[in-house]
Amino acid sequence: MRHYETTYILRPNLGEDQCTEIIDRTNAIVTNDGGAIICLERWGIKRLAYEINREVQGYYVYMNYAAPGKTVDEIERIFRIDDRVLRYLTVKLGDSMNAEAIEAEKQRIEEKAAARAKAQSENTEGDDFDGGSLEEEAAEE
Amino acid sequence: MSQQKKMFSRRRVCRFCTDKEIVIDYKDAKTLKNFVTERGKIVPRRIYGTCAKHQRQLTEAVKRARQLALLPYMGNTQF
Repeated sequence: MRHYETTYILRPNLGEDQCTEIIDRTNAIVTNDGGAIICLERWGIKRLAYEINREVQGYYVYMNYAAPGKTVDEIERIFRIDDRVLRYLTVKLGDSMNAEAIEAEKQRIEEKAAARAKAQSENTEGDDFDGGSLEEEAAEE
Repeated sequence: MSQQKKMFSRRRVCRFCTDKEIVIDYKDAKTLKNFVTERGKIVPRRIYGTCAKHQRQLTEAVKRARQLALLPYMGNTQF
């Protein structure tokens, strides 16, 4: 088994039911092949940086899982067929994964989430970056 | 003029080497935005002084973020 993470973007106008259906189906592929889902996050509807299939928004879903390589082939095959999925990206995180490593990874993600929640409660105001990079670049040239 | 040039070309150290807290992650578009120009180009490492290793990771991360429409291939990054 290998360690992968996949992020995919669904059309924003599907509604909660269809989103859940797609997510469940994808999860089922992983578990049926003997893999394990480590973490699943719905980032929700976000604005896309550029239009994809005439959509300006997308529903982002992130999953982190351990599965054999052929599972990824299957998931991507289904994503290519389904036109409700706008975009997907799979990244391999590790070559071998056993039950112990899965537990460790689960714990790591939990800790990270806890840390992030804490940081967010401490400073509620978001730090907007208003691009000073261009000026710096101009100075350099 | 040459005096001014010297001022800008002082040695900068890699931001990721000095601060181990920052992780380069393609999912974190907000951080990556600091390393692309307003038009969405990746800032060359001679500007920020990023070391070769981290610049490589950064480039990879930006390109992945672009695939996921978290960053634009071109155009304004402020959206």
